[in-house]
Amino acid sequence: MGSMFRSEEVALVQLFLPTAAAYTCVSRLGELGLVEFRDLNASVSAFQRRFVVDVRRCEELEKTFTFLQEEVQRAGLVLPPPEGRLPAPPPRDLLRIQEETERLAQELRDVRGNQQALRVQLHQLQLHAAVLGQGHSPQLAATHTYGASERTPLLQAPGGPHQDLRVNFVAGAVEPHKAPALERLLWRACRGFLIASFRELERPLEHPVTGEPATWMTFLISYWGEQIGQKIRKITDCFHCHIFPFLEQEEARRAALQQQSQELQEVLGETERFLSQVLGRVQQLLPPAQVQVRKMKAVYLALNQCSMSTTHKCLIAETWCAARDLPALQEALRDSSMEEGVSAVAHRIPSRDMPPTLIRTNRFTASFQGIVDAYGVGRYQEVNPAPYTIVTFPFLFAVMFGDVGHGLLMFLFALAMVLAENRPAMKAAQNEIWQTFFGGRYLLLLMGLFSVYTGFIYNECFSRASSIFPSGWSVAAMANQSGWSDAFLAQHTMLTLDPNVTGVFLGPYPFGIDPIWSLAANHLSFLNSFKMKMSVILGVVHMAFGVVLGVFNHMHFGQRHRLLLETLPELTFLLGLFGYLVFLVIYKWLRVSATNAASAPSILIHFINMFLFSHSPTNRPLYPRQEVVQAMLVVLALAMVPVLLLGTPLHLLHRHRRRRRRPTGRKQEDKAGLLGLPDASVNCWGSDEEKAGGLEDEQEAEEPTVNVQVESFHRRTQPVHRHCSQETCLSSIPRRSLGPLAVGHRQPLTQFLSL
Amino acid sequence: MLEGAELYFNVDHGYLEGLVRGCKASLLTQQDYINLVQCETLEDLKIHLQTTDYGNFLANQTNPLTVSKIDTEMRKRLCGEFEYFRNHSLEPLSTFLTYMTCSYMIDNVILLMNGALQKKSVKEILVKCHPLGRFTEMEAVNIAETPSDLFNAILVETPLAPFFQDCMSENALDELNIELLRNKLYKSYLETFYKFCKNHGDVTAEVMCPILEFEADRRAFIITLNSFGTELSKEDRETLYPAFGKLYPEGLRLLAQAEDFDQMKTIADHYEVYKPLFEAIGGNGGKTLEDVFYEREVQMNVLAFNRQFHYGVFYAYVKLKEQEMRNIVWIAECISQRHRTKINSYIPIL
Repeated sequence: MGSMFRSEEVALVQLFLPTAAAYTCVSRLGELGLVEFRDLNASVSAFQRRFVVDVRRCEELEKTFTFLQEEVQRAGLVLPPPEGRLPAPPPRDLLRIQEETERLAQELRDVRGNQQALRVQLHQLQLHAAVLGQGHSPQLAATHTYGASERTPLLQAPGGPHQDLRVNFVAGAVEPHKAPALERLLWRACRGFLIASFRELERPLEHPVTGEPATWMTFLISYWGEQIGQKIRKITDCFHCHIFPFLEQEEARRAALQQQSQELQEVLGETERFLSQVLGRVQQLLPPAQVQVRKMKAVYLALNQCSMSTTHKCLIAETWCAARDLPALQEALRDSSMEEGVSAVAHRIPSRDMPPTLIRTNRFTASFQGIVDAYGVGRYQEVNPAPYTIVTFPFLFAVMFGDVGHGLLMFLFALAMVLAENRPAMKAAQNEIWQTFFGGRYLLLLMGLFSVYTGFIYNECFSRASSIFPSGWSVAAMANQSGWSDAFLAQHTMLTLDPNVTGVFLGPYPFGIDPIWSLAANHLSFLNSFKMKMSVILGVVHMAFGVVLGVFNHMHFGQRHRLLLETLPELTFLLGLFGYLVFLVIYKWLRVSATNAASAPSILIHFINMFLFSHSPTNRPLYPRQEVVQAMLVVLALAMVPVLLLGTPLHLLHRHRRRRRRPTGRKQEDKAGLLGLPDASVNCWGSDEEKAGGLEDEQEAEEPTVNVQVESFHRRTQPVHRHCSQETCLSSIPRRSLGPLAVGHRQPLTQFLSL
Repeated sequence: MLEGAELYFNVDHGYLEGLVRGCKASLLTQQDYINLVQCETLEDLKIHLQTTDYGNFLANQTNPLTVSKIDTEMRKRLCGEFEYFRNHSLEPLSTFLTYMTCSYMIDNVILLMNGALQKKSVKEILVKCHPLGRFTEMEAVNIAETPSDLFNAILVETPLAPFFQDCMSENALDELNIELLRNKLYKSYLETFYKFCKNHGDVTAEVMCPILEFEADRRAFIITLNSFGTELSKEDRETLYPAFGKLYPEGLRLLAQAEDFDQMKTIADHYEVYKPLFEAIGGNGGKTLEDVFYEREVQMNVLAFNRQFHYGVFYAYVKLKEQEMRNIVWIAECISQRHRTKINSYIPIL
């Protein structure tokens, strides 16, 4: 938990990786996940880097993998998840993997091709059979005979030129959506010198490529003359129709087709059996190979970020690594380079870039850290608000959700998830909503627990009060004192318990809200008032705590001026206005009792009057000289606003001016002195990026005001502060938000139960 | 449409306009071009294109990579985007988009007819057809023998049908006639499109009319240039010019009488828009007339994105994307032919 307080110390580490061992070292580091590589070749485009050839080879392989994967999926099979630890294979193994997969892919392609060809053939046969069996024949036979009878006299004219004129046929099948266009085009192009009949196939055929059922339109065109015939053939070609020879003795033809297709089906069955064998081998080989090659590619991509040493003997990498992990890093490097008989060296170098933020989490803290990160990831070494969130977030939730029964249900649900978290089925669940719940299971657990606690305070279990202790109010005493008769009781459905009557109010309930309130008609207005005041108190305390956390940042980064210019005004503003409100609430609780309840002052009116600098005569002051105190507080708080807005920028501007007044010759030294470190990063050996960085610095020096202000606004939005101010917005500025929410949870249920 | 498109434009077309602007933002930048030019092989080019919005559109191509493969894939991508626009569009945007495809359809029809004339197989030609101008009856074009045949049998149902009114003739389709047919179709198409935009009014008219006028003038110039030294008579030439644009009518009459490039240039000098263009020819880098026209076109199309609530962005985007594809193909050709001296004469898209 110590490491949760602020992000860990991270060091810039330079790794000297001998060329022979660079691959194994990076692979090992990748397995350990200790470091983050910096790109030293940012100016070099992707295809000019050193290991681009290897990356390309991996990509080639991945392309083959995708092909294999698609084939497996198309066959409706699932790839098993890879098992065991699969480190990146040594580079020479790539060839083996490549060879194996290539061979498999080639085999698969062949078999697949064969199968495809067979299926196309089969499809063709089936279509042919279907076209013949479509029953165009009776109709056509009719027209044929009809036409013949019409023409009989003509044809019988002796020696006529039309002796050989006879009807020709084109039969085929076309996809249904093209049929109307085809029909119209045929008609237009051939000016009606043909008779075409279209019919839909009764039984859909399997599409040879996709395997989906598809219906076809079969057609039979009868025409006279070769010219027209050529035209028709061209048109049917352009519509990609399947054309079949149409012969007279179709029965025999159909029988032959049947037989052919049966034979084909047998062959196809064989091919498919072989195909499933190949696919089985793919299923075994593919998952581990995929993981390995992906790792390999990642290693090469990391190596691409390294620069070459001047002697070309080793690669130089720059990485961020937690200071705590340095020994582990060095050991890993030693181990993995030992095998090659060389030694890789890691040593820490100073850096002036801001290191990345590293906060280690475990399964418990991860969800809380996630909430904080959603607001913004803190800068390096900034105070991390996550540990406090572990308490505040569930508690603030519980303030809204206070109910023993509901809280218990939630707690049990979360507990079930926590207890079962090690079951593989839990982690493997793909449902997105479930994953959200499962990821936040510890959060839910605490939220449930706190809800039970606040439920006890609100004295609510499924919106019903429970009386664990005897109530502090006595109805008997009231009845005796005011002498309620039976007739009086029969007439009045509502009775008032007056705490001023002795013996009626015996003392506060030991814990939480007295259960007798659940019988009262003013139950909700009493609870609402209570919850709102409580929310205001909690909110102000929460915000003040956030501001105080900022103090740790200012101390740590040595920015004392911000204590004076930021934290102090913030606290004054917050406590002067809202802290005073809290004071009023508590003061009224303590000072005003039931005896003088009738003339009790209204805090709300007082608070509004405080800002308006006015006073209402009907509202009694809480304490003497109240108005003077209030006026002072408001003026003080308003005076803090300009300090907050301008304090830090002006301070920085002043400091910058003072530094500039010194001779320019010393500026560089001064800067170096300020940074307090020599530049040892490889980047400074003259690479472009660092020059660009240097230029920026210069520019910053040239344009002080703008940059300084920008910077200060930037700082102003830094995460801890941001966290607090977000919480401010959430809990205080609309400072009754918690109250209505808490009320909101209660009200519908009560109304529901009262039905 | 009434005035004030900004009030209700977004109801029907807001989504698509947003989409097309997003697509325009994904055009290659100057830096991308600089990187592309540095590539040594087509593989490098592919790797670099992967880092842009093209993504791994070449991932499933088998080796070796060729320029035509890249071109086809890029066209497919553009076509996919365009189809998406078209499928989600409402009237009158969908009519506008249909008009946009017409020019590609004309090109395809002419290409197929030329192919048929040279006895090439339809399949061979189909590959070269632009996918944006594809239509079902397209492949049947080669059964027609005269333009009226073509119209009556094949194109009567396509959007091209209205453009045929001027070019019905019974002449056999030889090479010259096909070329005439193309230009007449184009003229008619441009005039109709222009009228459509003009009638639409609003920002669309303000943006599209200048673009189409420029297109018309460009055609007039190019037709003139190409007709030098051919058997095309001057009267015929005049009938091919689209009857609108900055040159219409005096400039066109003069152009019809022009006999060589210099006379054409003198005519262009009368127009302040075209004077600088003709002066830029042959300047630094040996630009051709085509190049300067392309540059001007790119400029106009980029400017179209400065206005909002109009359809011109769709036209402009497709044209810009086409220019980008031409650029990539140019660079790829230069790389694959190891002809690096001219690699920089692509048309930059600003």
